[in-house]
Amino acid sequence: MASGEGQSRRWGSLRRTHGPMGVAGGPPEASPPPALLDARDVEVEIAGVPILRGADLGVEAGELVAIVGPNGAGKSTLVRAVSGMQKPSGGSVFWSGRALGEMRGRELARLRAFVPQRMPVPNGVSVREAVTIGRSSHLKPLRRLTGEDRDGVEHAMERARVTRFADRDLTTLSGGELQRVQIAIGLAQEAPVLIADEPTSQLDLGATIGVAGLLRDLAGSGLAVLLVVHDLALAAAVADTVVVVSEGRTVATGPAAKVLTSERLTEVWKAEAHLTEHDGRTALHVAWLKGDDVRSP
Amino acid sequence: MARRALVFAALVAALLAAVVCSLAFGAVKVPISEVIDIVFGKGGSATDVQIVETLRLPRTVEAMLVGAALGVAGAILQGALGNPLASPDVIGVTGGAGFGAILIIIVLPGSIALLPLTALAFGLLAATMVFAFAWSGRNRGSVGKVVLAGIAVLSLFTAGTTGLLAAFPERAPSAIFFIAGGLTSSGWRDLETVWPYFAAGFFVALFLIRPLDRLALGDDVAASLGSRPQVIRLGAGIAAALLAAASAAIAGLLGFLGLVVPHVVRMAGGTSSHTYVVPASAIGGAALLAGADTLARTLRAPIEMPVGPFMVVLGVPLFLWLLRKAV
Amino acid sequence: MRKLLGFTLLLVALCLPATSQAAPPKRVVALTPFAANTLAKLGVTPVAIGQTLGGAERFSPKLKKATVLPLSHPNGPNLEQLASLDPDLVFSSQTWAKGNEAMEELGMDVVVQDPRSIAGAYADTFEIGTIMGRKHYARDLLQQMRKQVEAAAEGIEKRPKVMLILGVGRTPFTFLPNSWGGDIVTKAGGKLLTGGVSSGSGFERISDEVVVAENPDIIIAVPHANEDDIPSLTEYLRSNPAWSSTNASKNGRVYISVDNSLLQAGTDIARTIRKVRGAYLKN
Repeated sequence: MASGEGQSRRWGSLRRTHGPMGVAGGPPEASPPPALLDARDVEVEIAGVPILRGADLGVEAGELVAIVGPNGAGKSTLVRAVSGMQKPSGGSVFWSGRALGEMRGRELARLRAFVPQRMPVPNGVSVREAVTIGRSSHLKPLRRLTGEDRDGVEHAMERARVTRFADRDLTTLSGGELQRVQIAIGLAQEAPVLIADEPTSQLDLGATIGVAGLLRDLAGSGLAVLLVVHDLALAAAVADTVVVVSEGRTVATGPAAKVLTSERLTEVWKAEAHLTEHDGRTALHVAWLKGDDVRSP
Repeated sequence: MARRALVFAALVAALLAAVVCSLAFGAVKVPISEVIDIVFGKGGSATDVQIVETLRLPRTVEAMLVGAALGVAGAILQGALGNPLASPDVIGVTGGAGFGAILIIIVLPGSIALLPLTALAFGLLAATMVFAFAWSGRNRGSVGKVVLAGIAVLSLFTAGTTGLLAAFPERAPSAIFFIAGGLTSSGWRDLETVWPYFAAGFFVALFLIRPLDRLALGDDVAASLGSRPQVIRLGAGIAAALLAAASAAIAGLLGFLGLVVPHVVRMAGGTSSHTYVVPASAIGGAALLAGADTLARTLRAPIEMPVGPFMVVLGVPLFLWLLRKAV
Repeated sequence: MRKLLGFTLLLVALCLPATSQAAPPKRVVALTPFAANTLAKLGVTPVAIGQTLGGAERFSPKLKKATVLPLSHPNGPNLEQLASLDPDLVFSSQTWAKGNEAMEELGMDVVVQDPRSIAGAYADTFEIGTIMGRKHYARDLLQQMRKQVEAAAEGIEKRPKVMLILGVGRTPFTFLPNSWGGDIVTKAGGKLLTGGVSSGSGFERISDEVVVAENPDIIIAVPHANEDDIPSLTEYLRSNPAWSSTNASKNGRVYISVDNSLLQAGTDIARTIRKVRGAYLKN
């Protein structure tokens, strides 16, 4: 995850959005397409309490952005606000150039898919049925599913690697399997951006690796991914860009190596730690018991 | 999938059987061949034609409509509130309708012709009060608020009803019949008044089926897919209120059906998918009420018994058997 | 010695217990119009009479000055109010069963009478007379009543089929012959529509199919309503599609009776029979 690699990935995505002819700087009249997500100075107040006081967020195709920060910093609130789940009280949010406030539900559903941390599991619903529900944002009310819709459902399940248990009841799935099904439901929307709110926080190591790897591969195939995550080593390993949220503001944006420095870890998390990377593996070295002199202001 | 189709087919068969029995049987023996002739317009003796066309046919249609309406109301409320104990009573409709009917029967008996409309109007008023309270302030439209508001409004109208009964004790017996619930053989008269409300309720419910499936995956997933959870809940409340109020207007206060039928079809079909549960609850409810009503008016003919106990006798054993088998 | 004997005899005479006939109760309360009016006819003034809330009982003009006790479920009169009147005897009805129990516990004697036929009314009238120590008044009264009733039931030309129903709308209850109203209508010459059913309570919900099959000539409804409700109620019943094929509906012979005369036993039986014949049966 050296910055060079991340850079090339971004250039690669630009090439894709410009089409086969274009490198950045194709025909003079072609203006760059609007960013998939452009959120600036977002403010959110809940019950009169300011939670977000000005946060920025953006993502491009093929980019995986990890949003990190201590509990209560506003990470979830930020992604929920830009996703339209929570009304912002200030700032601007644009999805593919369209203002959030101007879009109706269905239009927004084509531009972004939100995967919550944990969804309630209804009885007697199979994986395929659940993913089909995800497809319903494409259907007009009362219109029946077409062959194209069914193909879309199968495709979403393949991409999320859940096809082999497509007929199983949701209630029989493990945590990791259920999380992948949730991602499949999001993929069924066929939106260019997928937002996952702490998908791995309640999973064990193996399941985490499965979900993280899936999200990384999805980004690699061109999907833009916004990932709220607690685990800093994981963030460093999978993300092209890390956004640090602290006390309602985005305090840093950039590659993990630049952003997750020891100073920042101390400043934001009040921890004495540093991040290392070797051979594609990342690790967070933490002075677990050092405590007092670091935490005192 | 196959299991669902099988259960659905069984429900349709049960409904057909119930309809045939409801038309063919009654306090007066009319030979089946004559019933068939009359139904297909070939006529029969004047008395028999009157019995089949003016008494049994409208009553059968009413039983199907009310049974279907209460089944659908229960199914969409359980889906929208995410609560297995939800039923049309929860949104206050039955309390309001009961009050409206008692008001006419006891205080304004001369206006008896207005009874269906008054029961309907008060039923809708009660539901409106529940929604207004539940959608105000913080946590707008949350399940907890709806349930508590429903309890409060129900208590309010029940108190009003009890007060009326206490103030006019002589007239109380007339009111008991309405409270007990049941169908009457009064031709198409009542249906002509309330059919638009049934139609509106079913119409809204139809458009709620897919949104309710989305809601079943959680408010967040529903929002991601472009739905607004509170709007879906409100819509479900409105549809359920229309269906329950119209039902109470012509059949009095019938409990049990709206609560139990959706559970029975869910357990039998092994799924909570609303594309199956809502139509199945309609068919199942219609079959149950039509069957129970036929029994209520033939078992001790010519005496007409209240329909409630027969619904319970038909429905509860099936419910318990399925409950045992359910995982 | 003679003085002592005389004194002793006097003492014995004074101390002789009252004869086997107990003294009639002095303070009597009548909670039903039947008991109240019967007492009035026997020349007894009850200490108080009962009137149900919102009820339409008919009382004899002799009772105008009587204290009125409002009656409501489930006890009937307010028990404290009743107790303050210190009655020896209360004539009550089965409707106030709970209250009757309480009255007995308060030491009052309670006589429950709910006559459901003309014969029953005669028997209960005699019972009241006996209890009040006015047996021969009662005998005279009964003789008079019987004569009046037979006169009222004289010369019946037609015996139409009559459906007598309690309440309006939502499958009303039918009066059977063993109910007060049923007995009156039968005495007035009507043939009650019963569907072949009998019941201890005197009422049953009978299927409209049976009504259509038996085709009554006359329908009389006894709802709980006021005089001014009669026109709209009559129209409502006349236009009931279920009965549209009956003679009653076709000939417009649908009537509403809002006073209590068919619901509750009264003492003006002859008048009631005459009214039924004149206004409804037209026989």
